[in-house]
Amino acid sequence: MIRPSAQLRATIQRTTPPLLILLSAAIVILGKADQTMFETLRTNLTDDAAPVLDALSRPIGAADSVVDWARGIVSMYQENVRLTRENERLLQWQQIALKLTADNGELRGLLKSVPDNAVSYVTARVIANSGGGYVRTVMVNGGADRGLARGQAAITGDGLVGRLTEVGRRAARVLLITDLNSRIPVVIESSHASAVLAGDNSGRPRLLYVSEPNTLKIGDRILTSGDGGIFSPGLPVGVVAALGPGEARVEPYVDLSRLGYVLIVDYGLSGSLPEPVPAVPHSERRVRPAAANEASVR
Amino acid sequence: MPLKVSSIPTLPRVNSGVAWLVPTTTTLLATILAILPVPVPGYAALTPAFTLMAVYHWTIYRPDLLPPIGVFAIGLTQDLLSGSPVGVGALVLLLARAAVLRARRYFINRTFPFVWTGFALLGATTMLGLWALQCLVQLTVFDVRSTMFRTVLTIAIFPVASFALGRTQRALIGAAG
Repeated sequence: MIRPSAQLRATIQRTTPPLLILLSAAIVILGKADQTMFETLRTNLTDDAAPVLDALSRPIGAADSVVDWARGIVSMYQENVRLTRENERLLQWQQIALKLTADNGELRGLLKSVPDNAVSYVTARVIANSGGGYVRTVMVNGGADRGLARGQAAITGDGLVGRLTEVGRRAARVLLITDLNSRIPVVIESSHASAVLAGDNSGRPRLLYVSEPNTLKIGDRILTSGDGGIFSPGLPVGVVAALGPGEARVEPYVDLSRLGYVLIVDYGLSGSLPEPVPAVPHSERRVRPAAANEASVR
Repeated sequence: MPLKVSSIPTLPRVNSGVAWLVPTTTTLLATILAILPVPVPGYAALTPAFTLMAVYHWTIYRPDLLPPIGVFAIGLTQDLLSGSPVGVGALVLLLARAAVLRARRYFINRTFPFVWTGFALLGATTMLGLWALQCLVQLTVFDVRSTMFRTVLTIAIFPVASFALGRTQRALIGAAG
């Protein structure tokens, strides 16, 4: 084995840190110029780290369950009284729901309406979050091998959480509705006005482009509108919590800082989310469709 | 043993193979610790910068065992796993390492409050730099208040991290540098 001379080793040791700093800066600029450049690397690393994160996040989940359990024991009596009352109320609602379902079925039959898309659910556990102040994402322990795909909605029993932006084999990343890059077409339930729910990394995303801003009031329910074909219409998102001059903020129904399990829902719509376009030279881009046509002719 | 003041310090030799891996492994663990989903309201946004604490500790006590390439790799891993823009974490950690290395001679053989003050200065500068860089890369102005709160939290938790890393160092590597 050739041993580098002491002088050479000293030179390497001296030049490595500045070179790595320059390399990091170059990576930042490249990653900014072409968002897809590091996506494969990111997906692969996430896949490899998933089992570790899965194992490490389990005790945290367990500890949280223990705390919840202890809290439940303490407040068992009040909880029981509350649940009994709620049960009475829900039984009344059940009667109403059954009647409405029957009515709905008859009316749909009369209208010959097309049934909603079949929905499939996958339950996934949150195994990591973004661990810093500048993105709002979580990682879940399910990927392509469980049927997850980009664009699918992540929900809990309370409402919308976000959508899948990166899907590996064993893990996937959910872009939360509070993230800076999240834009969700929504509808205000009471007025049927349409709007876009835009995250800004704060706990309460903003409502933009409200079609009837004057009708907006605190407490209005916000649902997905289904525009753009990414989410199914009617998923609960949150309530209008603050109204300022030209600004409305929505409090999400889901407590996004305490996500344990999420449901990944496939409405059969996710095909409409465009794949990120890699930065390929124009000449290459022009060639591709022609080649595809040729193949299909054969 | 008197310490030579230079960028390549003379430190006690390490014989065991495991010892070589301790700084890199603990720094990587700190990175993973930072992304674990702790169910505390607001935690994800205000997670203390555990990786920075580990890089600071090892750069002061055993810079020979946490080489710049290791810092670079851990920074990239952090960016990729947390979903942040790639390279930002690596760049900030490498700059922090360079800054600590320059000031290292002032911290050697000093009492803990001195080391903590040093970390407070470095932490505040780094977090502010990270905020500025993230604003630049994501083309937006992030609320600086959460960055400030995160900085305070990071500085406040540093003694715990320092204690844990110091114990690990004594147990697995030997005397502090």
